[in-house]
Amino acid sequence: MQIKLFKLSIAGFIQHSYELFAKKARHIMNKQVAKDFTLPWGQEPYSAKRHGVTLKTCDSEPVNTPGCIQAHGALLVLRKSDLQILQASENTLEILGVAAGELLGQPVGRVVGIKHEENLRDMLEQKPLEHSVTYAFTLSELTNGRELDVCVHTIDGVAVLEFETTGRTESHPEGNFFMMVQAAVGRLQTPSSINTFCQQVTQEIRAITGLDRVMAYRFHADLHGEVIAESKSDALEPLLGLHYPATDIPQPAREIYKRLWIRPLPDATGPLVELLPLANPDNGKALDMTFCALRGASVMYTEYLANMGAAASLTMPIMRDNELWGLIACQHNSPTHFPYQIRAACELLAQVASLQLKTAEYAEQLAYRLKMENIHHQLAVRSASEGDLLALTAYQPSLLDAIDAGGVALYHLNRWWCIGNVPETVQLDALANWLYEQPELESSDRPIFVTDTLASLCPSAVGLEDMASGVLATVFSRRRRGLLIWFRPETMQTVNWAGNPDDKPMISGPHGMRLSPRVSFELFIESVRGRSLPWLEVEIDAALRLRLLILELVISRGERLTELNADLTRSNEELDAFAYVASHDLKEPLRGIHRYAHQLLENAKSTDRENQVRVNNLMRLTVRMDSLLDSLLHYSRVGRMDLDFEDADLNAVVEDAIEMIGARRLNSECSIEIPRLMPIFNCDQLRVREIYSNLLTNAQKYKRDNHASIEVGYIAADEQAERPNAPAEAAGKMIFYVRDNGIGIEQRHFELVFRLFKRMHGRDDYGGGVGAGLTIVQKLVQRHGGQVWLDSNIGIGTTFYFTLSSLSVS
Amino acid sequence: MVLEDCDEDFYTLQDAVRFATLPHCIVRASSGDECLLLLRDESNGQKDLPKLVLLDLHTPGDDGRKVLNEIRRDDRFKTLPVIVLSTSDNPIDIKFCYSNGANAYHVKPVDHGLHLHALQQIFNYWLGSASLLV
Repeated sequence: MQIKLFKLSIAGFIQHSYELFAKKARHIMNKQVAKDFTLPWGQEPYSAKRHGVTLKTCDSEPVNTPGCIQAHGALLVLRKSDLQILQASENTLEILGVAAGELLGQPVGRVVGIKHEENLRDMLEQKPLEHSVTYAFTLSELTNGRELDVCVHTIDGVAVLEFETTGRTESHPEGNFFMMVQAAVGRLQTPSSINTFCQQVTQEIRAITGLDRVMAYRFHADLHGEVIAESKSDALEPLLGLHYPATDIPQPAREIYKRLWIRPLPDATGPLVELLPLANPDNGKALDMTFCALRGASVMYTEYLANMGAAASLTMPIMRDNELWGLIACQHNSPTHFPYQIRAACELLAQVASLQLKTAEYAEQLAYRLKMENIHHQLAVRSASEGDLLALTAYQPSLLDAIDAGGVALYHLNRWWCIGNVPETVQLDALANWLYEQPELESSDRPIFVTDTLASLCPSAVGLEDMASGVLATVFSRRRRGLLIWFRPETMQTVNWAGNPDDKPMISGPHGMRLSPRVSFELFIESVRGRSLPWLEVEIDAALRLRLLILELVISRGERLTELNADLTRSNEELDAFAYVASHDLKEPLRGIHRYAHQLLENAKSTDRENQVRVNNLMRLTVRMDSLLDSLLHYSRVGRMDLDFEDADLNAVVEDAIEMIGARRLNSECSIEIPRLMPIFNCDQLRVREIYSNLLTNAQKYKRDNHASIEVGYIAADEQAERPNAPAEAAGKMIFYVRDNGIGIEQRHFELVFRLFKRMHGRDDYGGGVGAGLTIVQKLVQRHGGQVWLDSNIGIGTTFYFTLSSLSVS
Repeated sequence: MVLEDCDEDFYTLQDAVRFATLPHCIVRASSGDECLLLLRDESNGQKDLPKLVLLDLHTPGDDGRKVLNEIRRDDRFKTLPVIVLSTSDNPIDIKFCYSNGANAYHVKPVDHGLHLHALQQIFNYWLGSASLLV
């Protein structure tokens, strides 16, 4: 079997079809045909020319022992010990000037002359020729006037001589040619990326061979292939960027390239020439032609090339760490020659390409890594300056510009922040729940989960293949469920697949039914359904490092919070000290003043009435000053005291407040109605009682006539009710209210009433007071995470509304 | 024994003692240091230990807190009734005093009449009703 990109393709199709029709098995790559199959050639030595293959027998085709060579050259098999000719290709008369039958049993000198026979003997003794095709000499003194390059290698106790026309010396004079190869190799020394490197390789090879099309074909981790570089004549359709199913190149074909550096097929349309005899007369075995440049190609492949319009092909492997990484595949539209010189140059370039590949890979990975790191770093810096992780998804460049993905979802601050193509929030939630169960994410140093077939692992991801076949996820805060997920779509949606849906599914060829690329394509779709391109190690590393950056951000934010808290504590302590001064140092003289005024009043009975009034005023002022200081102190404490949240029965709380202000006393001139039972609510009940006592005190004070009618109640979160002046923050929260039928407050004063020591009326009107009650109410409500506001009409009454935290219990 | 740096407050206290017609003699310290010094002087056997210690919290030098601590740390004074009289109604102060062995905490009212009344009550209770170690 000859091997070549398109040859491989058809081999894949054939193998597929066999499996499909004969076994209906899912995995077809390494299956073998049943041994009891009756082969047309039975026990006889095989000849590709004589026996050919059909769809049914192609798997049994002895590709390494086709018994035939390509017609453009001649081949002799020599016994290694005495260099006698054991087998000869049937075309020796045409190529070498002597009929094959006349050569059998003759010493090789009969063809190459005594001198070259001696050369060969020396080479066989001195050079390692086993499986190693080596140029021996150029034969020029032939009767037919031809000039032939002779290559030799040994295998299984025989020496194989291949004769091919020396070619191309006109277009590549010897000196120039080697300089050209040398220059080409030189240009391949500094690869910057895999694709540009492979592009360079294809250009160099095309320059040397002059072929119509040279492609670099790369195998992905799932073994499917992609044309990553192409150099071609303008007349040809480009194949660059096309992807080929893995099955197009079966495993046995891949294995061959681990042993060979080049497979030439200069004239795919040319006839096959049998060896005479087909089997080695010494041992009855067919010649193993694995390493023969002239090895006859499978008709399956030559036919396929003919269908493609290609008449010649040349294929070289690109190896990486002893694995087949890709192929350099060349084709030409007319039969051509691949003289030894050209083949040697191409082999050299393939070897250089293989050696340099790692450098190219490294350079590319480094560039990719740097790009990812650079963007991640930029994002982290932006996040740090904004104090928030949202910068990761909100700007350009974003997370999508770093690791190659279709979408990214970040769970942060109790919601998803997404960019690109990601599943719906509900689906993300389900996926996050599932991810948290994966042991990989529990690792302390590498909490990362990677898959390229999510739906096969996670039931809730079935149906999301188009955007989430591949998932790369990392956790940056288990406690707060901080999660970062990259998504990759199904491979088949991201690449251009070779294979035209309009092709007829089956075509009939001279050797029976053939599969078209379309069938292969459809089969392949099944094998890549739900699978994304795999995540690279550099991408996983980049994700882990981004996670570290985020952790640093979170930690440094934590540190900043700690600093702020320390600052806050300090300023609270300073406030305390200030309040202390207010309390002690201001009150002490006040007490003294009061004392002297008191004594004045007591001891100087003779003081006239007017002075008595003055002294009385003096004493009253000191008491008032004292109240002001008390309110100030209380206010400052309300802002700082720790709240003690518990489920409080607000009925009891309100009753206590009413009791405190004495509104239930017989002569209180005040009635308080509670139209329905108050709820149980999570709050600091002492503080809420203070809210109520202050509001009730106000309601009681600012009555219109001699009687205050007060209502205490609430509006449930979902209740249909008017909520006048309610701030946006109160939406969806339970609202408490205290309503009176008092004098009312002008709308322009709605804000003013909450200001400390601000009174709306004369100092001693409406029972006096220092004007701190509502300020303290506001502070207490704020401490509960709520709002307080009011609605009022002059002469009708006022309603104070407030919310507490949203944690309603019942 | 009275620790009081404010003269007016001390006068009020004297008035209260007088109105309560108590036979006790008042020893005044204006700073915490002086208070501790006097107490230790008296404990040297030259004089009797005071029946009652009244402490203002905010005083020059060692303040009332320090004095309270020292009194409660000293075996000789452990049984002394210590009453704190302060302008502060800060819960932190109140908690501190009770935690550190004060027998009572009183906030001094600004109103002179109330102030006088409160002091008289204190004297009547501690020097009249309550049984003290002789």
